[in-house]
Amino acid sequence: MGAGVEVQELGLVSYADAMARQLALLESRRQGRGSDVLLLLEHPPVVTLGRGAREENLRVPRESLRARGVELFEVARGGDVTWHGPGQLVGYPILDLAARGAPDLHAYLRRLEALLCDGLAALGVSACTRPGMTGVFVTDPLAARPRKIASIGVGVRGWVTWHGFALNVDCDLAGFECIVPCGLAGVEMTSVARELGASAPADLARRARDAVRAAFLAHFA
Amino acid sequence: MATVVRLPELGESVVEGTVSRWLVKEGDRVERDQPLVEVTTDKVDAEIPSPIAGVVEALLAAEGEVVAVGAALARIADAALAGASQSPGAKVAETTASASTPAPTARPESAPRSDAPPATPVARRVASQAQVDLRRIEPTGAGGKVTKRDVEAHLRGAREVAAPLQAERSAGASRAAGDVDRRPAYLSYSLQDGDRVIPMTPLRRLVAEHMVVSKRVSPHVGTVAEIDMAGVVRVREANKREFEAAHGFALSFLPFVVHATVRALREYPRLNASVLEDAIVEKRDIHMGIAVETDKGLVVPVVRHADRLSLAGLAEAVEDLAARARTKKLSPDELKGGSFTVSNPGRHGNLYGFAIINQPQVGILRMGELVKRPVVRSVGGEDAIVIRPIMHLALSYDHRAVDGAPANGFLHRVRQLLEEAEFDL
Repeated sequence: MGAGVEVQELGLVSYADAMARQLALLESRRQGRGSDVLLLLEHPPVVTLGRGAREENLRVPRESLRARGVELFEVARGGDVTWHGPGQLVGYPILDLAARGAPDLHAYLRRLEALLCDGLAALGVSACTRPGMTGVFVTDPLAARPRKIASIGVGVRGWVTWHGFALNVDCDLAGFECIVPCGLAGVEMTSVARELGASAPADLARRARDAVRAAFLAHFA
Repeated sequence: MATVVRLPELGESVVEGTVSRWLVKEGDRVERDQPLVEVTTDKVDAEIPSPIAGVVEALLAAEGEVVAVGAALARIADAALAGASQSPGAKVAETTASASTPAPTARPESAPRSDAPPATPVARRVASQAQVDLRRIEPTGAGGKVTKRDVEAHLRGAREVAAPLQAERSAGASRAAGDVDRRPAYLSYSLQDGDRVIPMTPLRRLVAEHMVVSKRVSPHVGTVAEIDMAGVVRVREANKREFEAAHGFALSFLPFVVHATVRALREYPRLNASVLEDAIVEKRDIHMGIAVETDKGLVVPVVRHADRLSLAGLAEAVEDLAARARTKKLSPDELKGGSFTVSNPGRHGNLYGFAIINQPQVGILRMGELVKRPVVRSVGGEDAIVIRPIMHLALSYDHRAVDGAPANGFLHRVRQLLEEAEFDL
């Protein structure tokens, strides 16, 4: 359909700054200005509560998060609680779904999952989705517990999307310990680096960015 | 005048949402397009904007409430008439809040299909005399009406279809005139009294042609494995009830076999391949064809990216495709692009059998019936005869691309995976 997408790679950005940037892009997109945008970035440690969040999925008191230097935000995205931090690739697509025809919120989630699966495949990680558990999991039928590698939480305002996905590339998975990620007990968090083990390339972060960017453009550009 | 804001269409697959947060309260003045409420569905939070500028008269759904698409969310009094709208009997306009710019159109009302299609009176009379169902006639008249000429054309067509069969019967010739000369005499058959002639449906013809082509271009080799399904039976029994409660259909053995096949294909990419003129293509993606018998014939819908699905995901996909294959709701795309096929032709009187390869693939697995059999196992260091649920799996492979060793290796791996039965449900 030839819809262009401008990809902006921003490096490490505070959650508040990224939110402000998203809102500015969202508003101009809603007014029909600019093109669709994908922001690719990383956050300093932060815990965010989506609209589906239950307080008990925060495993530690709010104050102790602050003491650890972890910010906390309540945000207008779907989903429960999640953690972001260095080594995790965060993608915020600002897309006008209506302009792309037949907008469908669930279909949009499925496409985000599909592109993450494609990106992961390019990195050598076989990933899959699980019905009823939006997000991306590592394909490992012999594992006792599902391992989640990417999380999704989306907001939409007048058919323009914001928020998006977070792919654990090489982050400190201990960051997730203060929460029940996405409210899914019994799910383990994993990362690309952990899945690849010794075979992980030295420039994994860059490769992951390139793979996700390429997969995103293949699906949405 | 007040406007009722309703939950808009959020996409074909979305039927309801949960009111997650009100952004306004009753009595608030709102601008047009100002977000009124956030509604969550799956992992999307959608802000529903106000369709007009005005004053929020009433919030009609509570936070946490699940509302259907089209259900009332709020009532907004028009800004210009905000004061007057309080009076009883004030008019209420209906609107479905727009999540899009421009506003989405209301769900189209599909006109109820009347049983009798429009037709001219003459056409109706001719049709009734000839005892033809008007619904089977293609209309060409104004406004989609069936005309007398349409009925006559339909009757002529019916006779033309009947004619060749008559000719065949008398002449003993084959249906297509062009084929007659080329067919050796021993292939033609003269119809006898009492024979029933069933013209091939287009699907039957396609299947027939495909079978012939596959056998001609591809040298099939068969190999069979005997599989002890005790582990799979155990896993299935343990999860049966919970699975059916969660998914609404019974968990069959097919997804287990498909799952093991997909895993083994990952290790033996040569079986997930196609043959080009002078090359073999091993495919990265595994798109699994599932042979389904329908009352109209054999179809093979494809589970795309079967390697990305969990066992439950595969079960869902197979169930969905099979159900839609039987109700003929598959799109043509869903029948294309398979890279390997599993066939489960039925449970009884089917020890094993070799399927014909679905071109341009290079392998097909066919499930035999699952029967309890006496087999020899080592029990406490001694050989003993025990009773186990046994299924035969027959692999047909294309010897142009695959040799015996990898084919047997692949089949053995499928067997191992099924016998180990480590499935994460």
